[in-house]
Amino acid sequence: MNLFPSVEFFEALRERANSDPERLRRLGTVDMTLVVKIDYPDRVECYEIVFAGYRCVRTRRIASPSNAARGAIVLEGPYAAWREMINNIVANGHADLEHTLNTLTLMDTPLHVDSDNQLDTDLFYRYQENLQEFFDGAAAIGAPFSASAAAHLQ
Amino acid sequence: MPSLGCYDINDKSLVWADNVAHLYDEAVARQWSSARDIPWNQLKPQREDLEKAMCQVCTNLAEVEFVAGDMPAKWLWHINHDFHEVKCFLASQIFDEARHMEVFRKRALANGGGLLRSSPDSEQLLRVILEAPNFTTGSALMHILGEGFVLTLFRNGEMFALTPVEKKIFRLCMQDEARHVAYGTMHLKYFLEKHPEREEEIHEILSRGEEATFSLNQTQDTVEARAILAGGGLEHIEEGFQKLGYLFKKQINEYLYRLKMAGIERRSRLAIPFELPL
Repeated sequence: MNLFPSVEFFEALRERANSDPERLRRLGTVDMTLVVKIDYPDRVECYEIVFAGYRCVRTRRIASPSNAARGAIVLEGPYAAWREMINNIVANGHADLEHTLNTLTLMDTPLHVDSDNQLDTDLFYRYQENLQEFFDGAAAIGAPFSASAAAHLQ
Repeated sequence: MPSLGCYDINDKSLVWADNVAHLYDEAVARQWSSARDIPWNQLKPQREDLEKAMCQVCTNLAEVEFVAGDMPAKWLWHINHDFHEVKCFLASQIFDEARHMEVFRKRALANGGGLLRSSPDSEQLLRVILEAPNFTTGSALMHILGEGFVLTLFRNGEMFALTPVEKKIFRLCMQDEARHVAYGTMHLKYFLEKHPEREEEIHEILSRGEEATFSLNQTQDTVEARAILAGGGLEHIEEGFQKLGYLFKKQINEYLYRLKMAGIERRSRLAIPFELPL
């Protein structure tokens, strides 16, 4: 079961992204490392997603963004915002007008993008279509939410 | 190296960026078409204020993209063919900008609003870019300053898109623009590493460009159109202006960080306010 957030969830996204090489070729190559950072009141959860060429090559859970590959871009926000985005994607088959990655990050809330330097942050813009398609894959894999994570919404 | 009697840019430091070959490969892998890749069938009739605002924004962007293609075209044939990676990348940029001009023009014409007003302030900024005395100063003005600002406008457009049509247009344009900005930043870095004595020349041209950019940001037609979209309608224009103010600060900070990466400390010499006086 691909609970969000979990290694299994991001692995499922990775497998789904790599399952259609022709679609990836149409979107173009990506060379970046993205860290999904989910903030809870009492902790954080971080997942590293590595893209190289036409594939998503690795996903894993890490303790903090400092454990990610050099040059990683961190996409951070509260669990509620991540849950709303994933729910929206699952409900609509893709992010609707109010829930794309760019929309959620442009005003730096509810999600924001960070990195060690601006050129790395700019990779988030250079690969925006690929990243959006990657997360839109949640519609295909489904994403029930773990009880412990959801408890933070109470 | 052979100049063929016509190439007068024969020094690598005047055009090179360490990421240019990679950027060219990325460009050719990400070519898109306004005819094939935009879901035009998802356009819907809009309220008059929103449709006019979107058409005004698209009119201004179409105008800007003409020059964004003309600038690299102006210098392309001056560059020695030994720097084929740079020439190929600039050729890909020219095609990117043609595609942007085309798609914004199409959007303005597609839903009843039409092409609207061009801006004298746009023309002022664009003239400064086209009249830059050499490729590097032109690149600093266009790739880092101009396209850096336009990149945020594209992000702005994606966020305030009225339909999936604009969403897709602005997202695809955003990708292209970020590639151009990446080239300009790393070219300036390479140039200044080889010619640190020319830093002042860059500061001077940026001062002129910043003043022209600031004037453009104050142009009534442009600013009001963006504020209407940002607020979600004429009745929320004040809220829209607040959002534009935040985005202007973001544009300035990202611009200054890119210059810092290129080796220029510009924060204390910025020729314009850090905040938009709306």
